[in-house]
Parts: sequence; structure tokens; C-alpha cells
Amino acid sequence: MNLPSGILDKDGKSFTTPNHGLLVQSRFGRVMLAPILIITTLVSLLPPDGNERAGWLQFVGNFHPLLVHFPIALFLLVAILEIVGRSGRFAYLRLSVNFVLALTTLGAILAALLGWCLGRSGGYSGTLVTQHMWGGVALSIICWLCWLIRSRPRKLSAAYAIALALGVGLVAWTGYRGGQLSLGANHLTEHMPNGLRNLLGVKDALVASDPSADPNTFYGAQIQPIFATRCVNCHGADKHKANLRLDTYRALMRGGKDGPVVRAGNVQNSDLFRRITLPASHDDFMPKGKQPLSAEQVKALELWIAAGASSSVAADAIKITPSAPASPAEVKFAEVDTAAVARLRSAIAPTVTQLQQQFRNILDYDSRGSADLRLKASILGSNFGDRDLEAFVPVADHIVVADLSRTAITDHSAGAIAAMKRLRVLRVINTRLTDATLLRLDTLSQVESLDFYGTHITAAALPTIARLPKLSHFYTGQTGIRPGQPMPEGLTGKLIF
Amino acid sequence: MDREIVFASPSEVELAYLQARTRRHFLRSLSAGLGTLFLGTLASKLVPSAKAAGAETAALDFSRDARTPLSPLPPQFAAKVRRVIYLHMAGAPSQLELFEHKPELKRFDGEDCPASFLAGKRFAFISGVPKLLGSQYPFHQAGQSGQWISDRLPHIEKQIDDICFIRSMRTDQFNHAPAQLLVQTGNPRLGYASFGSWVVYGLGTENQNLPGFIVLLSGGKTPDGGKQLWSSGFLPSVYQGVQCRSHGEPVLYLDNPAGVSRSLRRTMLDTIDDINQQTYAAFGNPETVTRIAQYEMAFRMQMDATDAMDIRKEPDSVHAQYGSKPGEASFANNCLVARRLAERGVRFVQLYHWGWDSHGADAKEALNLGFNDRCREVDQPTAALLADLKSRGLLEDTLVVWGGEFGRTPMRENRGGQVMKYVGRDHNPGAFTIWLAGGGVRPGMSYGQTDDMGYEIVKDPVEIRDLHATTLYLLGFDHHRLNYRFQGLEQKLTSVKAARVVAEILA
Repeated sequence: MNLPSGILDKDGKSFTTPNHGLLVQSRFGRVMLAPILIITTLVSLLPPDGNERAGWLQFVGNFHPLLVHFPIALFLLVAILEIVGRSGRFAYLRLSVNFVLALTTLGAILAALLGWCLGRSGGYSGTLVTQHMWGGVALSIICWLCWLIRSRPRKLSAAYAIALALGVGLVAWTGYRGGQLSLGANHLTEHMPNGLRNLLGVKDALVASDPSADPNTFYGAQIQPIFATRCVNCHGADKHKANLRLDTYRALMRGGKDGPVVRAGNVQNSDLFRRITLPASHDDFMPKGKQPLSAEQVKALELWIAAGASSSVAADAIKITPSAPASPAEVKFAEVDTAAVARLRSAIAPTVTQLQQQFRNILDYDSRGSADLRLKASILGSNFGDRDLEAFVPVADHIVVADLSRTAITDHSAGAIAAMKRLRVLRVINTRLTDATLLRLDTLSQVESLDFYGTHITAAALPTIARLPKLSHFYTGQTGIRPGQPMPEGLTGKLIF
Repeated sequence: MDREIVFASPSEVELAYLQARTRRHFLRSLSAGLGTLFLGTLASKLVPSAKAAGAETAALDFSRDARTPLSPLPPQFAAKVRRVIYLHMAGAPSQLELFEHKPELKRFDGEDCPASFLAGKRFAFISGVPKLLGSQYPFHQAGQSGQWISDRLPHIEKQIDDICFIRSMRTDQFNHAPAQLLVQTGNPRLGYASFGSWVVYGLGTENQNLPGFIVLLSGGKTPDGGKQLWSSGFLPSVYQGVQCRSHGEPVLYLDNPAGVSRSLRRTMLDTIDDINQQTYAAFGNPETVTRIAQYEMAFRMQMDATDAMDIRKEPDSVHAQYGSKPGEASFANNCLVARRLAERGVRFVQLYHWGWDSHGADAKEALNLGFNDRCREVDQPTAALLADLKSRGLLEDTLVVWGGEFGRTPMRENRGGQVMKYVGRDHNPGAFTIWLAGGGVRPGMSYGQTDDMGYEIVKDPVEIRDLHATTLYLLGFDHHRLNYRFQGLEQKLTSVKAARVVAEILA
């Protein structure tokens, strides 16, 4: 290769290429041997071992992906300068090659050093990282050799050209390996259109699945695909962060640097499950920096671990059912069928209308959808007496709630009340009723709540009441019945004072 | 419009037009009007069951005789609850001092609040980085249900097995007035119908001698939301809440003036009614009929309201139970009145107790001072009300609601970035606790959960509209169907967002 000893610019002035400058560079170049040896030693003796080491090493190492682009670009620039510089018009470009090469060498060494820091501290291990690492080391050596040859006054143009070509190839290979490390093994072909994929014969690299996993087992059908798509990028054959591999069942059960990550049958103590269910912002969360696993995936893992984390249990032996809180309880609103309601009410409607006109606001249907009636005579207070209640006997069968509190009714009404056979609630607070009425209420087979607060009843009538089949509340406050009195069986816990 | 209305003046016509003809009308008649006409002719041929389907979704009929606008109507479906007593703690009591046991918060007491608590949040007063504040009072589990409660409410604690806590209430308002409006009218802006108005509109009231919706105040001040909180909004004004006083005349100017006898009053009212009837015949404004009805009710109330409000008629044992003293304007007296009104068939009794805004800006609103007084003022009467309703059997079909308009922060308030002399907390719309007791509600349970700091909801959030939907369901209504057409929209208490009946708390 003919290096021009000087080039004339367009004003006729000449740039000198001082030979002593080359010598200085050459001497400095030899000094570079020291860091190269150091890196080689580090990489050989302290390779990445899958353990994470936080601290300075990792902090510095994280600058590797940033810095590594500079020597790559510079080295390719050297090749371009040399090729373009062959043409006489651009011969001056080759003047800067030495300087660029010096920068490239420095950058490559620094990048390799940071790369080691990251590999050693970031929990990496596996073939991928080893290949990438040695590629990087080799590249810094090639850079350094190119620079040495280029700076020598004696030309070794053939050796230089070979080293340069080799270097360009190595940049591509090492760079691709680096890309696989950070973006995934198939990051270049992942989104390749299917047509192109078939044309080039690229295999779908996504299925990095466990060949031993039987698709008829729950592990093979449900669990392994989760690991294959979400986890093996960092915990697979090529890269096993934290010394953990999830690409095979055996590796999964062996666990990582902190021991087993899956404890069969013990979901709560399975570190894997703990980490995937942490909030995404948590330091221990997995997959780190990625979307959390879907609820179905988490559920599948939970069920599988709970069921013993076996590799052989059949795919249909574990049922994935959506967890209960996913679908909150819903109420159904009853629809009113006006025509049907009118039919139900037809027998009593005229009587009800007549009673409603006679006694305003105290009789109404239980709801818009029913023919049941509610009687609320308490509104009329002492203006409502035994004779008034008799007027309601024709509809007694339909009355389900009767509130006769504070009315003037007496035990003479016992028959009228007993006729309300479908009564659910009877409320006669502060009336003059006595045991005489209570004793006649054995007809109220549907009654759930009897409210005799403030009446004159005594414990004598309790055996009759105890026989009411549906009774759940019997209000006996301010009556002759006292708490602590002996109760007939069947009333225990039903009396409220 | 369904009714033929004759308007009094051009401006009234203009107003009615503005109210009636809206964007919604325009869009509906423009795009859907012709289309539905066309579809209407087809529907009966295309879908044989179209008529039946139409009947099912027909609007519920709430129309009544104009002379008796409050007459009772049956609920849509069989209901567990017939009346509501709503105890609103105006100012928002601290859930972290009463119901929310957060030992983790206690552990971090006095430490700087994490930045993630503050990012993107708006506070009424907190500025800079506040300190976390653990509960000021010890907590323990109580009752058979083992629910957590602090030592501030020893009386309510005895009723805890009848109480259903919703620990995951949420609102989107962080100032008192709009937040109270949201709780009481379903909307943070003015002009909407209140909860009680909707219930009385839907169910009427059994006792025609008393208003169906009665409001009682205590604590010394009207709540920040003002009288809008019991306004009927767009509903006819006959459904608005009637504020009654718990001492003196229950309703001002209800009594006859000196020298006017009840029969003279009757004669006067008859004449006024006659004139009003003529006005109605001429102009057809339904508000005229409302006015006639209100005069009549006032006349009937002269007897019944005075009797219902007169707690001197209660025996001493009851006063001892409630801690009530006739003649005072106290929460205790109001609770006792609430029970008397519930007995008399009043549909909706609304109590407000003011003074829960525990910012710590002065002694009265400090968690370690004024807050204790508020607790003492409400604890015994609330518990007495529950116990009294229960022993009288009324708790079976009465729903009691207790709560504020939002919650309070787990951070100590640092108004102006300064450490304040008294201990207080700022507003937290993100999480608060209310409780329900009575008919149809599962007793002795807790629903929903907040995080370890009591700051945000982590499980089963309940919006204000969900609470409304749930309460209306208990009263026998699908909240969609209890509606009133105004400004072209079927207005609802739950407003336009989807509301959910919290089925998990139903008995």
C-alpha cells in the first residue's frame, strides 16, 4: 500500500505527514498491549458465572451497550476511508485513518472492559455471552494490530488488508451476538414477514421449547409455552441470568443461584411465583422491565405448582377456572309483566280499590309485580280499631305484611289477624293485645317476624309461638316476657328484647 | 311534551322551550325520528314479540293525583327496605382513626411520605413532602364478627355485629360541597335531585301528615353543600327535603299566629286553595297544585309534626339510652327524632352532623382534640338508634347509612409546608369507609380493602353511584328505571355512568 508522504491542497500548500508522529503513535500503540492483556486475563480467569453483583461493577458495566457503538462505527469508518481513499480524488481521506484507528483501538478496549464488567456482574452465563465476549476481545486485538501495522513505516499492506477484512466480519458477528443477548436470540427474524421467511428458509426460532416436554401433559401444554415465550430469553440455554434456566423441566426444578424457585405444592414459598406476582415496579419483579405475565398465565402457574409441579400430570387434570373475584356478583332486576300482574290482582282489585278509598294510604300492593298486600294501619294510630280491621278480612289471604302498631285494636281482632294466613311480618307495637291474641296465631304458618314490643303478652303464650315453623324474630321488648326466662325449645335466639 | 300546558307569559314560554328543546331532542328527532317511524311500521311484522318486549321495558309510571303528590306507590319489585335513615357526618370523619386498622402505617409514623403517594395527586392543603401519620388511637377486634374498630366508638362497637362496613368507598370530589352533593344528589354540581327526593318520588310516603323527606341538622353549622343537599332539583318541589329544627317549633312559621284559631286558619286556606284552583285551571302549571298540596300538608303538620318532634314525650330511660336532652340542638336529639319519624312512616330521614373536617388547623378540628368531641357526640346516639330500632323490630325494614363525603389521608397535614401545632389529616377522595345497617344488608361483614397505608383501594372499589344503586335496589328499584325526564334525558340518581348493585353485601 502506498501511503502518500504529503498531499497538496488546492492552494498549493502541502500537508506534511511527519514521520516522527507515526513513531510516537507506534510507541503509544505498543503501550496498548497492557490493557489488552489485562482484559484477556480477566475474561479467561473471571468469566461471567450467572451471579449478579450489584455495585460499581454493574453500574459501570451498564455503559457497555452505549459505548460499544463507537468502536463499531469507527472500525467500519476505517474500512470506508481506506476503500474510498484508493481513488485519487479522495486520497487525502487516508491521512485520517491512523487517527481513527487509534480511537477505534481505545474504544474497543474500553468497550471490552465494560463488557466484561457487565457480563461478570449482570448475572450472565452461557454460550452466547461467551462467544460475544471473546469476539469483543478478538476485535480489540485486531484493531490494535491494524493500528500497529498501519503506523509502521515499513508496509505490510497484505497483512493489513486481511486484518481489516477479518475485523469487519468479526464486528458483524460479535454485534449480532450482542443483539441476541439484549434483544433475544431471534430479534432480527422475529417480525420477518412470513413470505420472506419461507423464501429464505428461516425457521420460527420462537419455539425454543423443551424437546422433552410432552404436549399432552399440563407442563408441556400450559407451563412450558409460558417459559418459552416470556422467560427463556434471559433464563435459557444461551443466557442464564441468576444461573437459572427455564428451558427444560430439569433445569427449572434445579433452580438458580439462590436455590429452587419452584417448591412443589407450595405456591407461597415458590420464589418464581412470588416474583411474577409482585408489582412491576418492585426490584424483584419478573420478567424485569417487561410486561407482567397475563392473569391466565399466572393462574396456570399457580395451579400447576399447587398441584405438585409435576412434568407428567395430564393436561386436562388441572382445570383453569377463572378466579372468583374476576366476575363480581350481579343482581337481576325483576321485570314487571303488567298483564300477568293484572290477572293476579283481578280477583281482589275491586275490593282493594274500595278499601284504598275508604282508608287512604294504608293499603297497597307489596310491589308492582305482585298481588300481595301490605297493610300499614299504624299511620292512622288510635283512629283505627277492631271494626276497621274487620273490613280487611275479604283480602286477608293476600296480606303479607301488617303493621297495626299504636292502633286501638284489642284481642277482638285476634280472628282477623289469624285469618291473614300468608302473613310474613306482623307488627303490633304498643297495642293492647294480650296472650289471648298470641294464642290464636298458630295459623300463621308463613310468619317470619312477630313484633309485640310494648304489648301485654307474657311467657304463657310462648309454647304456641314456638310451633310457628318459619319464625325467625320475635320482638318482646317492654312486655311481660323478660330475658332469662325459661324458653320453650325452638325459640332460642329468636327473642329480641 | 305529554301535557297540554298553557303558559302565563312569553318569557315562561321561552324558558319552557329552552328546558324542553335540547341538543338531545334535536339529535333524536333529526337522526332517529324518521328512522324509528319507519322501523315502528316494520317492527310488528318483523318481530312478533315486539309488543311484549315493549311492554317489558315500558317506563315505570310515577304519576299521581295532582292533589296528593306524595301518595304511596308500590316499589318496582318486592323490597327489603321501606325507609332510610341517613346519618351524614359532614366534613368527612377520618376512617384511619375509626374503622381502618393499619399497623403498617403506624410503623412508618413520622417518616417522609413516599413520592409515589404524591405524584399526580391534588390535595386541599398538603404541600411539599408530608410525614406519614399512624392512627392516633388503638384498634381492636370486636363482636362475633371480629371486625376492627378503634376505641373511639365504644357504643357503636356493641352493635358491630349488625353493621356492614364498606371499606373501599371512592369519590371523585375532594372538596366538601361538591363531594357532599355527589353523595346526596349523585352529581357534584348544583341542580340535581337529592337521594331523599328520589326515594319519595318513587315510593311516596305513607304518612300524609308529615313530609316524606325530613332533614335534621346538628353540630352548629349547615353542611358545606348547603340546602342544595336536600333540594328536589328538577323533580317537582313537593319532593324536596323539609328541614326541621330539633328544638322550638320544628318547622318555622308552622304554628298559627297569635289570635288565629285553627278553624280560622282552615277558612283562610280554603279561600287560598280556591284562588289557586282558578289559577291552575287558567294556566295549568303543576307547581300551583304543588302549592295547594303544601298548604294542606302544613295545616295537617301543625298537629302531627309537633307531636313527632316532641321528644319530651319519651321516657327518661330512652333519654338515658340516647343521651338526649330535650331543648338542645344535638345529634342525640336528632337520632331520637329520627326513630320517632321512622315509626310514623316518614320515608327518608336525613341527619347531618357538622364538624368532622379534622385538618388540625385548630383545636376544634384536631384529631387529638375536637375529633374526640365529635366521636362522643355521635357514638352513643348512633348506637342507641340502632339498638332501639332493633328492639322495636324496625331495623328489619329500615336502612341506616353512616358516613362522610370522602376519606382522609394517611399523611399528616402540613398546611403551607409547615409542621402544624395540632394533628390532622387532609382530604382523601381515593378511599373511605361508610357503614350500613338494617334491612337487606348482610350484618357483621366488611366489604372492600385498602392498601397497608389506607391510602388507595386494592380490592372491590365502590363508587358513590354504586352505593346509590345498591340502596335503591334495597328499596325495590332498578336504578335505571327510577327516572324522570328532564332536558331530554331520563335523569337518574346514579347519573349517566354505569352503576353496580353491590350484590356481595346483600343479605
